[in-house]
Amino acid sequence: MANPPHMIAHRKSWNSWNTSNLDGGLRPSETAIEDVFIRKFMIGTWHALFVSEIIVKRQHNIIRIGGIIRRSISARKMYFLIGYTEELLSFWLQCPVKLELQTVQDKRDVIFKYI
Amino acid sequence: MEILNYVKKLEYLQLTRNLNKCVLTPILRCASIASKRDHNETETDDFKPLNLRHVKGQSNIRRPMRKIDALPPRTQQMAIDQDWGSVWPGPRTFHPATVPLPLRQGYVKKGETIPNKYGNAELMKIPNFLHLTPPVIKRQCEALKKFCTPWPKALDSDEKCEKHFPIEVASSNYCHSSPSIRDPLSRIITVKLRLSSLKLDKHAKDKFLRLVGERYDETTDILTLVTDRCPTKKQNYDYAMYLITALYHESLTVEEWEKLKSEADMEYYNWNDSKSKINVEKIFGKESKNISHIDEYSESISNLMNEGKQFFYLINLYA
Repeated sequence: MANPPHMIAHRKSWNSWNTSNLDGGLRPSETAIEDVFIRKFMIGTWHALFVSEIIVKRQHNIIRIGGIIRRSISARKMYFLIGYTEELLSFWLQCPVKLELQTVQDKRDVIFKYI
Repeated sequence: MEILNYVKKLEYLQLTRNLNKCVLTPILRCASIASKRDHNETETDDFKPLNLRHVKGQSNIRRPMRKIDALPPRTQQMAIDQDWGSVWPGPRTFHPATVPLPLRQGYVKKGETIPNKYGNAELMKIPNFLHLTPPVIKRQCEALKKFCTPWPKALDSDEKCEKHFPIEVASSNYCHSSPSIRDPLSRIITVKLRLSSLKLDKHAKDKFLRLVGERYDETTDILTLVTDRCPTKKQNYDYAMYLITALYHESLTVEEWEKLKSEADMEYYNWNDSKSKINVEKIFGKESKNISHIDEYSESISNLMNEGKQFFYLINLYA
């Protein structure tokens, strides 16, 4: 996040990983819209919990959603939210969705540079 | 309360210990829970007054954030000789508590320390191959081995393969990161065929080559057919096979109009059948083999007609 967008692929990598925008890739517009939808849904569902960008990685028909969240809700609620998100997103997008999250104790843990 | 009293009475009856365990303990537990509930309800009876106006001095007391203690990372308890394939069995996003490697990732200025794996989003973005370590690949290959059949012993050389399997069919499959497994490009079929494997006579070969046109490569003697007009791979393959069959049988037939083939239609210039030979014989008044320097002359004429009037060719020939 500390690097501007033109530094993607130089100092940082993409937040969306898919083959749609490669040469000959299929359904680029659908993928972009779906990614926007996934991000909005995640931000709303995991409200004020994400301390990093939401990473959407696609492998074949699996969508892996990654990110770093705070440990401010109990593990039980977190398990519920994971199941809820996976279930609803896989129903809407009609493909398996996996949530692969990492938790940090404090939101300052992910900051490594102040601009 | 009544239940409790009843139970106490029962105890006076000096029941056997066994019955006590089976019947009384659950009843006692129920009774105690019920009495506790009664107690709680009385405690929360007084409601907080609803204060719609913001009165000075009264502020919402912020509840302090509950600190949730997480277990220490799993990497600290891992044995050195653990089976990594069962720790990380499939493709997955990087997780610092599962990977016992001191990884660092990220761009920093010169002299600064690269951020470590904890809370590092860059490490989560990049695809990893932690599920494909060499021992795991070996294990998977061993598991797949029982589904493989040995290579036929008779086909030990490329020449034999080409002889027994003259047709080479190529098609592509595409893997996309999308819910669809269809790709329009996967319908294309490329069929390669060595022309010498077909039994063609002189006329048939000439006709065959005229029919296929650019698809035949003279230097390698290979005919390449690309079919992509049908929507599916199977249909295109069938069409390619049909094309080869049709070409072969069409080139074997001799049509009525093929007898009209003149000198200009010949595939290459043959001086012995040409008008030039007749003219030379007419001028000299004798047979061509008796004329001096006739070989050089015929060769030059044939070269000129067959190779074309290419400048560099002529320069090399006569310079």
